[in-house]
Amino acid sequence: MIEEKIPKSQGELIETEISMGTVHPAALEPYRVRFFVQDEIIQEAEITIGVNHRGVERIMEGLPVEKANALTEKICGICSNCHTWNSVMVAEKGLNIDVPERANYIRVIMGELERLHSHLLYLAHGNEVLGHETFAMRIFYIRETVMELLNMIGGNRVQYGVSVIGGVRPRCQLDDMRVQRLNEGMDKLEKDLTKFTDRFTSDPIVNSRIEGIGILPPKQAKKLGVTGPSLRACGFDYDLRTEMKEYDDFDFNVAVLDGCDVKSNLLLRVLECFESIKIIRQAVRNLPSGPITNRNWEMYDCKAIKHYIEVPRGILYDSYAIEDGRIRSSIIRTPSMTNIGAMQYAAIGNQITDGQLCIVQCDPCFTCTDRTFEIIEL
Amino acid sequence: MADITILYSIIGAIITLIICFIIGTFLPGIERKYVQARIQQRIGPIVTAPGIMAPIKFSFKENLRPNSPAPGLYKALPIVSFLAVLLILLFLTPQMYPAYLLASIIAIVGLLKVEEVSYVLMGSLSKSVMSLSLKFPDIVKGAAHTSGIVRSHLEDISSKRSLRMITYGSFPLYLALFVPVVSAKSLYLSDIIKYQMANGPLLFTTQGILAAIVFFIGSVIVLNESPFNIIEAEADVIQGPYMEYIAGYRSVIYLSKGLLMFTLSALFTILFLGIPLDLLSWNFIVFVVVALIFTLFIGILNAFTPIFTNKQFYPVVIASTLLGVLAIVIGILI
Repeated sequence: MIEEKIPKSQGELIETEISMGTVHPAALEPYRVRFFVQDEIIQEAEITIGVNHRGVERIMEGLPVEKANALTEKICGICSNCHTWNSVMVAEKGLNIDVPERANYIRVIMGELERLHSHLLYLAHGNEVLGHETFAMRIFYIRETVMELLNMIGGNRVQYGVSVIGGVRPRCQLDDMRVQRLNEGMDKLEKDLTKFTDRFTSDPIVNSRIEGIGILPPKQAKKLGVTGPSLRACGFDYDLRTEMKEYDDFDFNVAVLDGCDVKSNLLLRVLECFESIKIIRQAVRNLPSGPITNRNWEMYDCKAIKHYIEVPRGILYDSYAIEDGRIRSSIIRTPSMTNIGAMQYAAIGNQITDGQLCIVQCDPCFTCTDRTFEIIEL
Repeated sequence: MADITILYSIIGAIITLIICFIIGTFLPGIERKYVQARIQQRIGPIVTAPGIMAPIKFSFKENLRPNSPAPGLYKALPIVSFLAVLLILLFLTPQMYPAYLLASIIAIVGLLKVEEVSYVLMGSLSKSVMSLSLKFPDIVKGAAHTSGIVRSHLEDISSKRSLRMITYGSFPLYLALFVPVVSAKSLYLSDIIKYQMANGPLLFTTQGILAAIVFFIGSVIVLNESPFNIIEAEADVIQGPYMEYIAGYRSVIYLSKGLLMFTLSALFTILFLGIPLDLLSWNFIVFVVVALIFTLFIGILNAFTPIFTNKQFYPVVIASTLLGVLAIVIGILI
């Protein structure tokens, strides 16, 4: 039974406040965190974002749909493909565009490759925060296989520009050579990842650093609206991919762990990596023939359309209306938005050294999440 | 005649210090390139980069005023720390053995304490922009705990941790230092060496092996090397006490680290192998080999373990302290 933690409310005795950021080596992105501590034990945490606001939604306003879709890719450097994919799917849903089956398969392959690279980056970052440089380096080394495959299909290591309205770009066509390289890459990745997982799980010192740290009880996870792998690491069997029609042809398991701690979060990502490898193998094996883009569609006005997909960090929400072929009222909500509460809660009761680890366990991507800002005179 | 002997002794000690200092500057590079980088399957830095090139580079950088309530004292502390390490090394040279109390375990412990206390002061005097000094609107409407709370800098935690290190963290090292004292029944380095020349190296005795293990763990703690680098843990306090040091002061810190690595390995060689630090003897090679072995072990430990929090730190310190006590008891009984 996992006990609930109670944050100290305003006015209750707290010894010291330690603020970190907005620049901190343990944080991949700029954010401010205030830890309220008693003898190095965190009693409450407060995360403030907003220093990396780029006004993506505002910039999208009035842009042609195709151009705006390309712009969504710039929201995140880690899950750039998912942002474009979801944004494109909003238009496809609103304009009733059928996507060729082969294009859907290529999108799924890209989505899963991106999940692999995101999860591996998460694992490497987690190990860096733990202070285990060797494991972090090893993971980066393993991740290189995925990066090369992404580069092969998308032409870039970071922003691939795969999805377009009606399918995928012609340069993302999978020929025999690419299919072979994908198969070889998956074999190598599975082998390397299995070896790493064995070493990681059998290391007693690493285990003592991650077991029972950053506890997020299931009840609290539900209350805070946690999403994605962080939710599944709290014992909830929910993955939006099981409801997405793009994944109908694929047989995969939803990885669930009930430890509710950093260890569960880290291991869950590893398990999801194996599932992603499984999905990619199926997609490559059963890749349908045919076109990869449907160009028979017309642009017309439509009211606000919304669409959700499961991205590496959880559920991504995109919504916009189309007026004269241009975007109106764009809203993008990234999974980290709903996970911020969980990060703050998970830090309670842990030592300051583990504070950043508790935040990292929810795989934050605050740069993608920044949507509003307020100018304060300092 | 006596004057010439003193002059030769001074020149000998200075040359020994210079040679040891040069060897010390290579040790961080060897650790990073040939141990950690090899384990991590990467090329690693140039071997001279961490210990030699980085200090040279920093010494040419522009020096800025640190955000400290006592900038003068804050800037002086790395130099104090460096001098403390240099003095330890000086007292290890045979030329200093006639200076009795200075060439004794008591003097070494005292100087190591100076080095440790300097971390406490460095931490408490540093107020870097990485936390509270950053102009960020923390206390705003809707923020948590806006009043009645002590707002602290990251370095303050580091300072408190350094203080704890003085009380219990460095305990294993000091216990290990007293095992040869118990066996030789003398505090003086010259007597400890003489005892081992007559009875063989202490390392090959039961209490010697135990003490050597404790000495190594204690050395890693005093060196603030991973996994015991809680006072400069990147996950929270970043670089801790060193955060505000730039330019020449940072280069002094880098140089101190290499020198301390060599000094502790030299101390080990004297205390557990009974070899005097004589530059003109072939025995000096043993000092270099022990320094390399020390660096190798520290690098391996660093590469294969995450940073210890208090949860892991306490059991290790307690276990090594008990091991140290056991070594002393065995030393008394035998």
